[in-house]
Amino acid sequence: MSKHLKVALVDDDIPNTEVLRDFLIRNGYSHVDKYHDGESFLESLDRFDERAVVLDFDLSGGGDLNGLEVLEAVKERSPSTHVIFFSGQDSLEVAVESLKNGADDYIVKSNAAFALVKTSLDKVYDIQVLKLNERRSQRISWIMAIGWMATIAGVALFFAGR
Amino acid sequence: MRYLAPVDMEIIDRLSAGDPEKKKYYIRLFLDTLEPELDNLKAANVAAPQEPIRAILHKLKSQVQTIGAAETHALMAQQEQHIKEGGQIDQSQLDETCAQLSTLIENLQELLK
Repeated sequence: MSKHLKVALVDDDIPNTEVLRDFLIRNGYSHVDKYHDGESFLESLDRFDERAVVLDFDLSGGGDLNGLEVLEAVKERSPSTHVIFFSGQDSLEVAVESLKNGADDYIVKSNAAFALVKTSLDKVYDIQVLKLNERRSQRISWIMAIGWMATIAGVALFFAGR
Repeated sequence: MRYLAPVDMEIIDRLSAGDPEKKKYYIRLFLDTLEPELDNLKAANVAAPQEPIRAILHKLKSQVQTIGAAETHALMAQQEQHIKEGGQIDQSQLDETCAQLSTLIENLQELLK
C-alpha cells in the first residue's frame, strides 16, 4: 500500500542513502527525496513542510552544518516537521540533545536500522492520518452545525412570517 | 598476510530484494566510495592529528556494515571510538584496517564478475 507521506533523507553517505531510499520505496513510501548536506535540504524547506525528515548527525562529508544544527533550523522554520535522527554515533549525549531539540526518534545505524527507520516513519504516518481524520471530522461537525443553524433560522423565519 | 573480510551475501540479497541487476548496482555504488577512501587511508599519516582518519573510519563503518562485512565494521568502529576518546592508532593497526578493506573490495569486485 502506498503511503502518502513525503520523506526527506539528509545524509552525506551516498550509497547508504540510495539503498535506504530504495528500501523505503519498496515499503510503500513513494516520495523520497535525498540531500547530501544540511544546507541544500534547508533551502528546500518551507514553513508548512509536511515531509518527515531522516537526518544524519555527522554531515561533515557534505556541508558545514551538523545534524543538530539542521534540526534546530528545521524546528525554527517548520515546527511541525517530524525529524528522525539517524546516526552512526552511538552517543547518549547526541541522542539526548537531539530528542531535547525536538527529534521524534533517534536510531543508531546498524544492520536493523533500515527496518527501524521504516517503523519510525510508519508511526509518523499514523499520526498524520489521525490528524487528517481529526481535521476532517471537525470540518464535518462545523458544516453540520452551520446546516442545523440555517435550518433553525429558516424555520424561525417561516413561523415569524405567518 | 591476507585478512578475512567476509561479506554476508544474505544481507546484500535482502537489500536488493533478490534483483541481480540491483545487487550489482549497489556493489558498484559502494565500491565507488570504498576504493578512493582506501587510498586515503593508505596515505594517512598516523603521526599527524588523527581526526581525518577518524572521519574516514566513521564514514566507511556504516557502509561496510550495510553490505554485511561485520568484522571490518567492528574493527573500524573500535578504532574510531579509540581516536574519539583521544587515543591514537598506530601504523600496524591502520595497516590491518587497510588490509581488511582491500580484501573486502576484492570480494565485492569478484561478485561483479
